[in-house]
Amino acid sequence: MGAALDTRWFDPARLNLLVGLLLFLTFLVINMLRAKAGGAIYIRPLAGLKALDEAIGRATEMGRPILYLPGLGDMSEVGTLASITIMSRVARKVADLGCTMEVPCYDPVVMAIMDDVARHAYLEAGRGDQYKPGSIHYVSAQQFAYVAAVTGMMVRERPAAIIYMGSFYAESLFLAETGNMTGAIQIAGCDKVTQLPFFVCACDYTLLGEELFAASAYIGREPVQLATIAAQDWAKALAAAMIVAAIALSALGHPGLGLLLKTS
Amino acid sequence: MRFGPIVLTFLVGATLIAVFFIPNPKAQAVNSELLLWATIVYAFALILGSISLWNTHARKIRFKLDGWPYSLVTLVTLVVVTGLGIWQGVGEGTLVNRIYNMVNSPLASTMFALLAFFIASAAFRAFRARNVEATLLLVTALLMMIGRVSIGEFIWKGFPGFTEWLLDVPNLAAKRAIAIGVGLGAVSTALKIILGIERGYLGRSR
Repeated sequence: MGAALDTRWFDPARLNLLVGLLLFLTFLVINMLRAKAGGAIYIRPLAGLKALDEAIGRATEMGRPILYLPGLGDMSEVGTLASITIMSRVARKVADLGCTMEVPCYDPVVMAIMDDVARHAYLEAGRGDQYKPGSIHYVSAQQFAYVAAVTGMMVRERPAAIIYMGSFYAESLFLAETGNMTGAIQIAGCDKVTQLPFFVCACDYTLLGEELFAASAYIGREPVQLATIAAQDWAKALAAAMIVAAIALSALGHPGLGLLLKTS
Repeated sequence: MRFGPIVLTFLVGATLIAVFFIPNPKAQAVNSELLLWATIVYAFALILGSISLWNTHARKIRFKLDGWPYSLVTLVTLVVVTGLGIWQGVGEGTLVNRIYNMVNSPLASTMFALLAFFIASAAFRAFRARNVEATLLLVTALLMMIGRVSIGEFIWKGFPGFTEWLLDVPNLAAKRAIAIGVGLGAVSTALKIILGIERGYLGRSR
């Protein structure tokens, strides 16, 4: 006997997730309206992102390339999407200053999208003719073949700055340590908690977890983008309050709230 | 040019969010279909990737750039393995399968084995007591290492339990705090893209 088909049009076990999503959307709308009305939205300074300008400037002065690594994630990973938007901002600055940037890719879809994004960034900067086709290129979809190729590039080409933004796995320490040995200024941002310590050890600046997702808005400084970070902070405050309340109620013998937060 | 991709992103993103809440087989079929489309797109992108790989390495060989012999090896391997794959297929016992098992896998394992040395050099740098945070890291690491070997238990019976507590309480709390931030950041980024607030992936900053 096979399992009976679930023909329901809504899974009530996921109601809490739907409520959370709707709350987040509400926070987003409120903060966007605030931003559009001219309300000030404060974003704490992120040293890693401030250092991006310094790194690009250093590469320009030294006449050496910037190596931008988007990680091993594919287009279904939000970390990769964040990496693409950060790369578009970095490419714009690279185009403005006239230095060179290389982006070796692990995923061919990411490569195709990044190529188009960088091309447009150069066009926006009014330097479309300076974009070098092939600067964003495919390497391999095998983890350690990718590592071998990229570390080889680091050692041979000695980039002035190496930027790691996206989803990284076991290759994080190989890449960051080799980059460290070459003396490049290294800035990393990763959404994988287990890989963060490696980047912290080997890089000059590291964006921890959510900071990767805030980076694009932080660099762009557009009010609507900043509003999304404020909404994220509101959601985090609510999550923290709910966790504290659930723990307190559970300790008092009322586990209801804790069970309500459980997801399926 | 701008409107089409934004509308398409919204429709696909909103559909996938809706499907997450609907267990009905009809809705799940939509999900499966979209995933199949993604696989087809990947297959075509792999052709683009191969062309990109060829162009990058052919340029290195043509201009005799640093490390060009490696590029030659890459291109010869690309042609030979692709040719063998088309000729014999990639199943068990074929030449491609044997190359994969006898060349590619050992090479990947060798690379992975190097990780121990990279960990040692990174740990050496990280464990220098330059400031309060680095000293805290150094002390914690030392306690962890002692507590995980038998001499730790010999020094103090509670050492293994203490290291477990370090892992399960302060360490896990920090990891979960970062994970919650990552989760909310991911939701925020996904919503920004679905709602068309973030358009960087289209090649436009605003």
